Amino acid sequence: MTASSQERPQCEISFTVNGMSHTVRAYPMERLLDVLRHDLELTGTKEGCGEGECGSCSVLLDGALVNSCLIPVLQASGSEIVTIEGLASNGRLQVLQQSFLDCGGAQCGICTPGMILASVHLLNKKPQPTLEEIREGLSGNLCRCTGYMQIIEAVADAARTGAAK
Amino acid sequence: MRAHPVEYELVSPHSLPGVLSLLASEPGAWLPIAGGTDVMVQYSAGILPARKLVSIWNLPELCRIETSADEIRIGAGCTYTDLREHEAINTEFPLLSSAASWTGGIANQNRGTLGGNIVNASPAADSLPALLVYDAELLLVSARGERRVPYSGFHIGYRKTQLAPDELIRAVCLKTRFSGYYAHTRKVGARNAQAISKVCLAALGRIAEGTVEDIRLAMGSVAPIPLRLTATERILRGKRIDSQLVQLAKMTAAAEIQPIDDIRSSARYRAAVAGNLVAEFLEQLRTNQERTERATRVLSIWNDLPPDKAAEEILPCCGSKAWARQMAARRPIFEEASLLSVCDEVWKNLPQSDWLEAFRSHPRIGDSHAPSSAQAKSAAWSGEEQRKAASADEDIKAALAAGNRAYEQKFNHIFIVCATGKSAPEILAILERRLRNDKTTELREAAEQQRQIARLRLKKWLLS
Repeated sequence: MTASSQERPQCEISFTVNGMSHTVRAYPMERLLDVLRHDLELTGTKEGCGEGECGSCSVLLDGALVNSCLIPVLQASGSEIVTIEGLASNGRLQVLQQSFLDCGGAQCGICTPGMILASVHLLNKKPQPTLEEIREGLSGNLCRCTGYMQIIEAVADAARTGAAK
Repeated sequence: MRAHPVEYELVSPHSLPGVLSLLASEPGAWLPIAGGTDVMVQYSAGILPARKLVSIWNLPELCRIETSADEIRIGAGCTYTDLREHEAINTEFPLLSSAASWTGGIANQNRGTLGGNIVNASPAADSLPALLVYDAELLLVSARGERRVPYSGFHIGYRKTQLAPDELIRAVCLKTRFSGYYAHTRKVGARNAQAISKVCLAALGRIAEGTVEDIRLAMGSVAPIPLRLTATERILRGKRIDSQLVQLAKMTAAAEIQPIDDIRSSARYRAAVAGNLVAEFLEQLRTNQERTERATRVLSIWNDLPPDKAAEEILPCCGSKAWARQMAARRPIFEEASLLSVCDEVWKNLPQSDWLEAFRSHPRIGDSHAPSSAQAKSAAWSGEEQRKAASADEDIKAALAAGNRAYEQKFNHIFIVCATGKSAPEILAILERRLRNDKTTELREAAEQQRQIARLRLKKWLLS
């Protein structure tokens, strides 16, 4: 810390994550990503680049796909957040998650939560996307293992079997 | 060095007056943050100069898009997603919606705002060349009141703007007077998404009586600020586009910009690309003009035909005789756009039996023989439309044939899909999905596909 630095107060921030209400004490400029991982121990959301380029930290904020590394937690106040932990229910994987497994869309796993949330967001908006729309929907998510083809196939497969809510 | 959140203050007044009075209380001390796609990157890198931030995300006063008779007013807090999804912006200002579509990926488009793009003042910002050619005006607001300034003078140097320390951009105002222009935009970057451009162009042009009546060119990433190419525009106005003029325009553009060497590209490459992008636009402007003139000639001959001849002439575009008769009855039609909208309207209102007649005029997907009732022109178009699908391996062909049989058994008509540009596996996936439709849903879906086919064929016909 620099000599001129000055400690600012924390505040109480409430939001819903995967259907459960939470209130956290945090500095308002803490990144939503860090609050999810450290305070709520939801470590499914990954940090890749930390500057909104790679999509690993994607979550849904009031239904919109966002990079949680770019959200000051104060701006998430009162919102509904969905992370990768919120997709499976009663021990059953969501259709997209199963498609990623079936099609070989996941290897090292770092990009996978973000890829799946970007896919959920895409299929909520466009239940029957063209291949071009799938590519565009995932264009903000980088994968260094698969070469993308299996991921695109997984989303197409989920669309065929009806992943949309 | 990572930033320490303990050193930063962030407040969220939830109303525009609240934000403005905070900015007025200590001018320059508070940094507004909207979607955070620029500010948070600097923050995380530990290079954000401000320690006090005020959130303007989701302020209702900044999130509206208002349309009036001659203007669209876009709230500065509107996101790229808002721009892409707004019908009037797509129609009237396609250069802006295209720029929005290639700014970052979807997550950044959901957070990045038009106002943020302007005040961040990057010379590479995607939306700014579009604002230059559309003669945008900015509505600025502070506790002192509002003022309206032309966007063209807003950037006064590298990352410097006319914005006073206590001001916010409230809205971007665009006059709806460019619908008669040919619009073209192009971004050259390392990849389509999430890449900052090496050079980007937004361009508008209009040709009258063979010469350039008006032309508006602006580029990003080629100077300290987004740049309007006024010298290049000057040598083009009033001239006929030929190869000599294109050469001159390339040289003028390359001389007019002030590119630099940086991590993304070199000045030499940028100058060459800038010239090429201008040349590409001029070629397209000329080609578009030729197409328009050709379409006008085709329509004017068609308008003069007797009704039965006119119907016969247009029948291969759709295959339904009732459609062709009604199209002929709607003459005179002078432009492609009105031809297409009349087509949509007539098609939508036809009874089911006429839809089925149109479906019957097509060969099955994967079947090389058109029905014997189809006209020669229709059969030739079918061949072109299914060209991509025709190059499939035997497994896919067999699956398509089986799918076609199952489809016809269930729905009693052939499977119609707008095949242009679609591969056999893509078509197979669509066929398998539609086999699960009920009869009513499927009839509507097939009719929609037939409508798309008719539109594509009408466009081809206009070039005949």
